[in-house]
Amino acid sequence: MEKTIIINIGNTIIHIEESAYELLKIYLNEVKQHFVNHADDLEIVTDIENRIAELLTEHLTEEKKQVVDANNVNAVIAQMGRVQDFDGAEENEEEPVVNSNYQFHAEKKLYRDMDERVIAGVCSGIAHYINTEAKWIRLATLLTVFLGGAGVLVYAILWIIMPKAKSRIERMEMKGEPANLQGFQKNLDEELLAVNQGLAIAGKHTGSIFRQIGIFIGEFFEWLGRFIGGTGKVIFKVIAGFIIIFGILFLLALIISAAAFQGFWDSSVYEYFPFSIVNENSRGVILFSAFIVCFIPILALVLFSIRVAFNKQAINKTLSFALLIIWLAGVASAGYYAAKISSEFKQHAELTQSADLKSFKTYVIDIDKSKYFSKEDSIAYHIDANQSRQIVTDDFENGPFVSPNNVRINIEKSENSATRLTQKYESQGKTFSSALQNAQNIDYKYSLKDSAIVFSPRFQLRKGTIWRNQEVWLNLEVPVGTRIILKEDAYRYINNYGTWDCGETENDKNDYTVWVMTEDGLKCVAQLKEEAIKKNKLKQELLNLDFLKKNRATDTLYQDSLSNRIKEVKEELGIKVE
Amino acid sequence: MIAENTQTQMRKGILEYCVLSIISRGEIYASDIIAELRSAKLLVVEGTLYPLLTRLKNNGLLSYNWVESTSGPPRKYYTLTELGKDILSQLDQTWQELAYAVGISQKGANS
Repeated sequence: MEKTIIINIGNTIIHIEESAYELLKIYLNEVKQHFVNHADDLEIVTDIENRIAELLTEHLTEEKKQVVDANNVNAVIAQMGRVQDFDGAEENEEEPVVNSNYQFHAEKKLYRDMDERVIAGVCSGIAHYINTEAKWIRLATLLTVFLGGAGVLVYAILWIIMPKAKSRIERMEMKGEPANLQGFQKNLDEELLAVNQGLAIAGKHTGSIFRQIGIFIGEFFEWLGRFIGGTGKVIFKVIAGFIIIFGILFLLALIISAAAFQGFWDSSVYEYFPFSIVNENSRGVILFSAFIVCFIPILALVLFSIRVAFNKQAINKTLSFALLIIWLAGVASAGYYAAKISSEFKQHAELTQSADLKSFKTYVIDIDKSKYFSKEDSIAYHIDANQSRQIVTDDFENGPFVSPNNVRINIEKSENSATRLTQKYESQGKTFSSALQNAQNIDYKYSLKDSAIVFSPRFQLRKGTIWRNQEVWLNLEVPVGTRIILKEDAYRYINNYGTWDCGETENDKNDYTVWVMTEDGLKCVAQLKEEAIKKNKLKQELLNLDFLKKNRATDTLYQDSLSNRIKEVKEELGIKVE
Repeated sequence: MIAENTQTQMRKGILEYCVLSIISRGEIYASDIIAELRSAKLLVVEGTLYPLLTRLKNNGLLSYNWVESTSGPPRKYYTLTELGKDILSQLDQTWQELAYAVGISQKGANS
């Protein structure tokens, strides 16, 4: 058994055994080298190759077999003659013949050098043209990439306009070698030298260790390239497959949810937050455009993945162009409505009303967590309105699907001695009057039970009003000295004081804190107490220090540290230090 | 060795003339030229002929046609050009003169 190689010699495809191939290759190299100095080397070698092809084919038909072996090659070589036998005939024919087919010119032309390329051979082509080494051009190109990336564009343009140096003449023009006989010889000599070196290394293993390492590295990277090329494709296909599956699922989900929105027409879905912004009469159009805007890009992604995975175009160009047009229309429509809705937040209006409260020494501020139901709701939830002990509570958390519902409470010092509660309703709207209308449609409740002020945690919007960033501000003014008991539930609604750090350490479990209005604003009573205790302690220490200072007046070192401590204590007490 | 060298020189001198003569008989393929030369023991290896044919062609003595072949690649069939025929007739004359000269050198001018 022997490995066979398929060769193309003289435009004939021939199967040849590896050992025979080696023989033939060496013979042809000898022939080429022999005619290198000849004017018509290419033509002669081609003639000889054609004849060899013919002879080999004849051998195969004569012997009725498929593969050329070493005996056939040896027979052919014997018939054609060894290079040494050639010498006799044409010895004195070496007058330099100028081949008129090729003109003399050493003019340089700009080609892409495909032999020394990194990407497309642009840089090394330029280097040949301006007579420098390719590495400098490459370095410069790399720098322009970092300096804003204009180099990438230039590279792409040159890639397009510069032709590849394909033929030997073009390669010689690129390097500026004259395209005449001498140039040809030089070029061919270089090639032959390279071939012979390759043969020597591969055949006899006589190359230096460095060269062998070089060959190994080259082969390793070639292998690595093949490996990545193979598995890379597989990975892309797997990714494309996943995209197809999930994309189709997502598309189905989109269709279902669009249908659901359409089905829940004027129903509960639009009570949830992002949808509650939308005006009732434009809901259909917005739904449809949003659907198109989401659906078509995912569809395009799926189609593209199908193309990657199966190497097949899923739809034709006209259809994809039509999809693009539909998508753009959807984007335009969605954009129009987004602008329209956002324009309804343009104007701002406030509505203020205030009420004087009865004077008390202490007020309790609480939040009413129980939910009030209309008669209809009570029936719907099976609540017996007559049974007054039943209370339904709500946690009033601001979830992701709840319209922002801001109720904020400010507690301030009253300039006169009256207690006054001011409610301020705010809203946005397209015009001032619509904003005011929106503000007027806020329904907010609080109740007074003697000294207790019970606030409702949220406001309601009257029927038909849509969310336009409505807010409720409550401003409670109390005279100096008034105590305020703040229930835990109310903490989060207080706007102008940090309510959480007023904890009484000893009885932490209280669900309220006590505050008092001072000239400097509202103070936490527990903190005030703590501060007073601390102050007393410091005063006591100061007295002790003064006493010690007087008693031990001679000890200077001790005096110094005493003075320092006195200074510190005085600073902490806010007493001026002389 | 010395004889061999002279033989080679002599063969080489008339090879071109013989090739032209063979081609002058009609369109012919290179390997058929070789076969004839070999039977005349003028040529032993085919490789020698191709450079010669190419040179004659480039000098304008020969032209060729590509002819499709049933076995293998298309073949070059050579014919003489007008210049080739002209030169061949000159060579014919030279050969007559040479043959005469050789005859005289061998047998003497008087016989």
